[in-house]
Amino acid sequence: MNYKEHVLMELKAEIVARNQTRRTRVRRRLFTGVAVAGIAAVAAVAVPFLSGTETPAHAVTRNTDGTITLKINEFRDPAQVEKDLARLGLTADVSYVKPGTRCKPGRGDTSDGPSFSKEELASEDPAIKKRIREAIENSPNGKAFKLGRGEVRIDPRHIKRGQTAVMEFTENEDRTSGPDKPRALWQFGGYLVTGQVAPCKVIDDPSWDKMPDPKTNPEAYPPAGS
Amino acid sequence: MRRRQADIATDPDAFEAFYRRHVDAITSFLARRVADPNTVADLVAEVFVAVLDSAHTYRPGRGSEIAWLYGVARNTLSAERRRAFKETRLADRISGRRPLDSDDLAELEERIDAESLARRAFEAMAGLPDGDRAMLELVVMDQLSVSEAATALGIRQGAARARLHRARRTLRDVPEMAPFVLEGMR
Repeated sequence: MNYKEHVLMELKAEIVARNQTRRTRVRRRLFTGVAVAGIAAVAAVAVPFLSGTETPAHAVTRNTDGTITLKINEFRDPAQVEKDLARLGLTADVSYVKPGTRCKPGRGDTSDGPSFSKEELASEDPAIKKRIREAIENSPNGKAFKLGRGEVRIDPRHIKRGQTAVMEFTENEDRTSGPDKPRALWQFGGYLVTGQVAPCKVIDDPSWDKMPDPKTNPEAYPPAGS
Repeated sequence: MRRRQADIATDPDAFEAFYRRHVDAITSFLARRVADPNTVADLVAEVFVAVLDSAHTYRPGRGSEIAWLYGVARNTLSAERRRAFKETRLADRISGRRPLDSDDLAELEERIDAESLARRAFEAMAGLPDGDRAMLELVVMDQLSVSEAATALGIRQGAARARLHRARRTLRDVPEMAPFVLEGMR
């Protein structure tokens, strides 16, 4: 899709999301003093989980369309993220790993994701790259995870019973970057595992220092079954 | 008028109209200052996010929509350069991975090429005091009127004129500025 349309779409979604938060806030004010159960019901719409004194490390929100927004401000305490997602009925496995490393692939049954040959993945042919990107976008994996502004949107409708939403985040501690210093600041990988999920075994990731090919930028999407 | 502007931040359709009206101008504005297509694309998104955050600051009586928008874009760009705001950085970390297809890249690179003279002129301006440089940028490079540029920077017209005059005088004989300073003198 044209990036201008892509940006427009994200921003319109952002407006809708902000309108909802605003309404929630108003409602919460109106219901102050009502029975505790009533407040809990409202709180379930948007619950920021505070784990620090300043900004929350992360926030988990259930949207009216059934999707779940995970906003991460600080890359710490993945177990709490899992707990907060579980409260919204989502089984998740969250790992934070250091730059230059990644979780060893093969943590479980990812047969629900698209698969490609090594040749296809290494290909520079724009047509093949496009096909790979589309296959990822159209798979349950691709539909279950979307990257928005500062957040990951998870759509449980594309996650079957018995599947776990596995998310791997990598963050660069040095957050400086710019036109003269192009580098990866963070990376997200999300995929679905059916059945048991093996713990994240950290291995080296030599591809970290390489900037993704902007033509396809596959890291913007859940890696194919990796 | 005030009402209409407020709608941009809350009404997706009003926002879409606003976005379509200005997205090309903002892309060029950024391409005059940044040479990397991915960064330009990300900054376009950042500027319009900032529009949502600051729609309430627009006062129709005080200058055109584009002047206000260029002001927002300047702030976004300097925030990006300082990386002073954590929130911005986080958004950037995600939007930094926004995929551009080959058509997007071609279009952005074309724009960036078209603005190469401007970017060289920006380098020549680097030595000016911040305020003077800002005026010169907005009037000479971005083609705002003096009063619009004053709006974008939130300063009085008299001060704006003085800054512009000083900046032009300083750079009168710098070759990189030749295509721009003269144009701005008309």
